[in-house]
Amino acid sequence: MAALPAPGRVLKPARLGWLTAALVAAGALCVVFPLFWMAVTSLKTVPEIQRLPLHVFPARWSNLDNYREVFQRQPFGRFLLNSALVASVAALSSAVVSSLAGYGFAKFRFPGHAVLFFGIIGILMVPFQSVVVPLYLWINRLGLLDTYPGILAPDLVSVFGVFLMRQAIEVVPSDYVDAARIDGAGELGIFCRVILPAVKPAIATLVIVKFMWTWNELFWPLVVVNSPTMKVVTLGLVSFTNMYFIEYNLVTAAAVVSVLPILAVFLAGQKWIVRGVVMSGLKG
Amino acid sequence: MPPAYLKRQRRAGLLFVLPAVIYFGGVFLVPLLESVIGSFYRTVPGGATQFVGTRLYVKVLTDPTFWQAVGNTVSLLVMSVPVTVVLALAVALGLHRLRSLKARSAWAAMYFLPFSVSLVAAALVWQWIYDPVYGVLNHALAALGVPPLKWLQSLDLVRPSLALVNVWARLGFDTMIFLAALQAIPAEYYEAAAIDGAGAWRALRRITLPLLNPQIVMVAILELIFNFKVFDTVYATTQGGPAGASQTVIMLLYDTAFKYFRLGDASVMAVFVFGSLLLVTLLQWRLFRRQVEY
Repeated sequence: MAALPAPGRVLKPARLGWLTAALVAAGALCVVFPLFWMAVTSLKTVPEIQRLPLHVFPARWSNLDNYREVFQRQPFGRFLLNSALVASVAALSSAVVSSLAGYGFAKFRFPGHAVLFFGIIGILMVPFQSVVVPLYLWINRLGLLDTYPGILAPDLVSVFGVFLMRQAIEVVPSDYVDAARIDGAGELGIFCRVILPAVKPAIATLVIVKFMWTWNELFWPLVVVNSPTMKVVTLGLVSFTNMYFIEYNLVTAAAVVSVLPILAVFLAGQKWIVRGVVMSGLKG
Repeated sequence: MPPAYLKRQRRAGLLFVLPAVIYFGGVFLVPLLESVIGSFYRTVPGGATQFVGTRLYVKVLTDPTFWQAVGNTVSLLVMSVPVTVVLALAVALGLHRLRSLKARSAWAAMYFLPFSVSLVAAALVWQWIYDPVYGVLNHALAALGVPPLKWLQSLDLVRPSLALVNVWARLGFDTMIFLAALQAIPAEYYEAAAIDGAGAWRALRRITLPLLNPQIVMVAILELIFNFKVFDTVYATTQGGPAGASQTVIMLLYDTAFKYFRLGDASVMAVFVFGSLLLVTLLQWRLFRRQVEY
């Protein structure tokens, strides 16, 4: 084994390895710290968060008064429901329309194919804020301000979804499609019975990511929502700061309430989210 | 193939993409054109509109408030984009060096966690950390003998402080992209380099970075777009203050349109945002493609 590296060469990376591991760990703790701080603050009383010297941990871990207060001051349960509804519809419609379009772009050639596909991808260049004023005027004209359809209007399909589904469907062997076609299956039947089962992971990715994005959105809901009952969770969260003095024990409790459901979705679907990120990253 | 079959195929393909095409046309293309058209019209009291040519452009583009917002946006960009990209690259390289795959994915998951948190929640938690009196950051600095700082209340610190929130929110996403790209590089390349006597630094410069170039360009562009459009963090914390020091273009656009209802002015800003983002992205893409050749 002439190619075996000299002993010094092996030792050095190993020593560096410990340093790397320590740095990686320290960085990770810094990244997680704000979330940790959010959680512990939400369990503290006002005198506790103002106490000097600072105490890291709450006096009573079972102190849920802040959470009770959050739900009493604002219809936070309603906010959560609104967000869940809006995000679910956005995720589902996005999955349906994106898979249809992804199939069309991946397995068919038709006039305008390239123009339409790159036209859609080009929308990534259009910041939402560039279209928000006309969109607001349209929603107003249609009488959809302060309604679920109004909140959902710009969220029903995302460019990311079309791109992701095209990438996923492109690698499904065309032989499967042709075989089904020879067997006399209709195009929609092929789509439902051949394509969709083959790209289940991509659909899972899309549904999870789109749900998360919609849940976390602030700008558009801020524009279209007026009444307290139609607020989504991000708007509810902001409403805790519209005071002269910000009660951080309540703000952090509200933040935990708004983050927990999405964190659960995130942790459950992390495998698929990473796939999606990787896919958009490697093939972008 | 028979022409009838081809014709049916073409029609089927078009039908499949039609819902998406109609949707994007209606929700993005038409409003974008309306934004451009709207930038030439003034809304007169009573709701009617009046054609005013380029007068609104002159008005907005000679307004110091607008240029202050542009300056703030650029300064936020300059602070957060390079930091995010370099840090993400460093973290990805660090994670990639970890031998145990289990440890690697566990630490990676921690870096990725903020990706799931809404920017509103992130901004509010950071505002609490930044609190000048009770914030944990000033507590920690006091332990080191540093006097308390007004992170979000001082003219000089507010932008770096907000930039840090954006870095925190975006780091994990970029790290995941880099890490995936690193894992796709065949180990043989490094073995060959080691046999040729190349050290770790040379291997990084000659193998890793060139192979990661597409991802670096893409992440830089994504970060640029993200930071250009950033709104939530500013809105939830400073609302553009103090004294307009953190007023971004998007914040100004929002206020102009939905607080003061000057829709024409807002449309000019919308066109400006679209135009400059397009220009900068194309420029960055061309520049990077050529320059980063190590």
